[in-house]
Amino acid sequence: MAAPNNNDAASASASTSEGAPAAPEDTSIEALARRVQEHMTLANNPSARRHKFWETQPVGQFRDAADVSLPDGAIEPPTPLSEVRADPYPLPAAFEWFTCDLDDDALLADLYALLAHNYVEDDENMFRFNYSPAFLRWALRPPSFFRAWHIGVRATESKKLVAFISGVPARIRARDDVVRMAEINFLCVHKKLRSKRLAPVLIREVTRRVHQENIWQAAYTAGVVLPTPITTCRYWHRSLNPKKLIDVGFSRLGPRMTMSRTVRLYKLPDAPLTPGFRQMELRDVAPVTRLLRAYLARYVVAPDFDELDVEHWLLPQEDVVDSYLVESPETHEITDFCSFYTLPSSVLNNPNYSTLKAAYSYYNVAVKTPLQQLMNDALIVAKQKNYDVFNALDVMENEAFLKELKFGPGDGQLHYYLYNYRIRNGIKPSELGLVLL
Amino acid sequence: MGGDWQELAQAAVIGLLFAFFAAKLISVVVAFKDDNLRITRSPPAVPSPSPADPPPPPASLDGGVGSGSDSDGDWEGVESTELDEDFSAASAFVAASAASGTSVPEEAQLRLYGLYKIATEGPCTAPQPSALKLKARAKWNAWNKLGAMPTEEAMEEYITIVDDLFPNWADGSSAKRKDGDSTMSASGSKGPMGPVFSSLMYEEDQGNESELGDIHVSAREGAIDDVKKHLAAGVEVNIRDSEERTPLHWAVDRGHLSAVEVLVNSNADVNAQDNEGQTALHYAVLCEREDIAELLVKHHADLQIKDGDGNTPQDLCSSTAWSFMNPAN
Repeated sequence: MAAPNNNDAASASASTSEGAPAAPEDTSIEALARRVQEHMTLANNPSARRHKFWETQPVGQFRDAADVSLPDGAIEPPTPLSEVRADPYPLPAAFEWFTCDLDDDALLADLYALLAHNYVEDDENMFRFNYSPAFLRWALRPPSFFRAWHIGVRATESKKLVAFISGVPARIRARDDVVRMAEINFLCVHKKLRSKRLAPVLIREVTRRVHQENIWQAAYTAGVVLPTPITTCRYWHRSLNPKKLIDVGFSRLGPRMTMSRTVRLYKLPDAPLTPGFRQMELRDVAPVTRLLRAYLARYVVAPDFDELDVEHWLLPQEDVVDSYLVESPETHEITDFCSFYTLPSSVLNNPNYSTLKAAYSYYNVAVKTPLQQLMNDALIVAKQKNYDVFNALDVMENEAFLKELKFGPGDGQLHYYLYNYRIRNGIKPSELGLVLL
Repeated sequence: MGGDWQELAQAAVIGLLFAFFAAKLISVVVAFKDDNLRITRSPPAVPSPSPADPPPPPASLDGGVGSGSDSDGDWEGVESTELDEDFSAASAFVAASAASGTSVPEEAQLRLYGLYKIATEGPCTAPQPSALKLKARAKWNAWNKLGAMPTEEAMEEYITIVDDLFPNWADGSSAKRKDGDSTMSASGSKGPMGPVFSSLMYEEDQGNESELGDIHVSAREGAIDDVKKHLAAGVEVNIRDSEERTPLHWAVDRGHLSAVEVLVNSNADVNAQDNEGQTALHYAVLCEREDIAELLVKHHADLQIKDGDGNTPQDLCSSTAWSFMNPAN
């Protein structure tokens, strides 16, 4: 995400306390102490490297971490729209911007292929995310989405799609402040073009187009530490098909552990246990929205969902998103809700398997049913639907059921970020009520 | 007297003022120096960096070295470049091999040293060491003679030399940098933005006190020659481990059909039960090992033995396609 035209202005306002060393006023002992502290922080935390790009951006800066005088909220005020850069940022020769129309099946197939071959892999390059075309349509076209935020880069000659980034609009509440934001996702550069440094210009361009809609904040995640996460979550994994997970290298079998005992350990009942547990339907949108809004109000940062959002994000779609609820058999009141989305991964270089089918915990609200029981039912339906693994972040109340339901900790950490919005001291994962896809 | 005091007081004031300005000056210099430090890597104490201390991104990423402020430089910095990652990996490899005593020709060592200094600190500004300090002088010369070589050029040559010296260096390094497919600088495994692929962290089987004999281990690994050796040496074919599992249980559990054949042909008890009452056939069914289950049934494995939970192999068999599990056939 980049400031519209003047990065210096952005960096100046984001770093006023740092000051210029040449200004005698600022060369105080405190400034010096801060610098020393900053360098100590950097020395002690190799991941907290210097980020030239992000230091020019209105994001929480590492050096400001200890500064209690900075207020929560927007880091810099909106620029007048007339000052937002009108033209796209320049691309290297031989590439051109291309706004993707996801109604077009052929284009959707191109985007699917770009991501399926070039998007996120694990550290050992054994798996690569394989978001389905239907999932991409769902993820990129929520209520009031902007087509201009589906940004492709094509090779001018071949018209081949070689890079992509996207934003979707969302209302996200931070403490008492409901902010219109862009959720930035699906940044992908073709493997052969990694040295072209397309990622920064994609980020700048999506920022520009977000600004053009008079939106000045954004939410995004990353596996790396950038300035500065609002919180850092861990993935947990619940084996549903342990033999396959071991065969593909997703998990390992200890030398003194048997496969047969592992299989028995993760066995689940054939059908959900909670009476009244059923799939969500269109008629449930209103009660689910009420349930969800009341629940998400507990969290420091959470989406501000209305019924349109709930209909889009939570109404079940085969192999995209699944939602279940508990309808009281007596009163027919909707008392509890759980959901997960479907994100398969390609299994790279395995003779027996090509796909890993993973369910990702999405939004869950347990009011009458104990959360652990509700999530156990979610595991059961995921198993019924042939998912291999059920993943969950340690956000919201999830910690309360992870260990009990035999989730194991994952090797992946997910950092959550807000652009141009400061939340001093960050928050705990359990204070986060937002799940980005 | 009065004049003396006045003079003294004056001197003291001037002294204080001087000290104040000196302190100011020093802090300004420190602040400036600090700024300069930012555009370089932290200087290493030894010619090669310690692998535990990965160098921060190169100068060109961090400060206005060279390129203009908005055009080129702004393309960088969101991600560390592939070159930077390769260089980090290569220098870590060199440090590790130096630590393990791998010998590198003196000439190449000095060249690498010079390039490393350029890549991490820029042009040599250190004072020339005394001619008596041979080693220090040689290193200084190696650095100094590269002049104002650009950082990226230094990194590239460094990697080239390491490639020449150790053609397979990248294979052994934890970072598989040389494989084009795995250079993940832009949006691969740890891209600048986006989701993260996580898999289960391996946890040692804590609290698992199982103790296996050698033949159990050989059966588990499917090492049939070793299994045969143990049997030939007089090891009992149905010998139990601490959980009362036989070698057959282990061979079935890990899916080694040939080891299962060796064991059943050596008269292993196909109906031996472990401490939870499960037979090798229970294992085969639970682990969905059809060929092995079929072999066991052929060798008269009992379909009706109940385990500790009261389940027979038949009860546990979820696949209806396994006709051999149905005694009617």
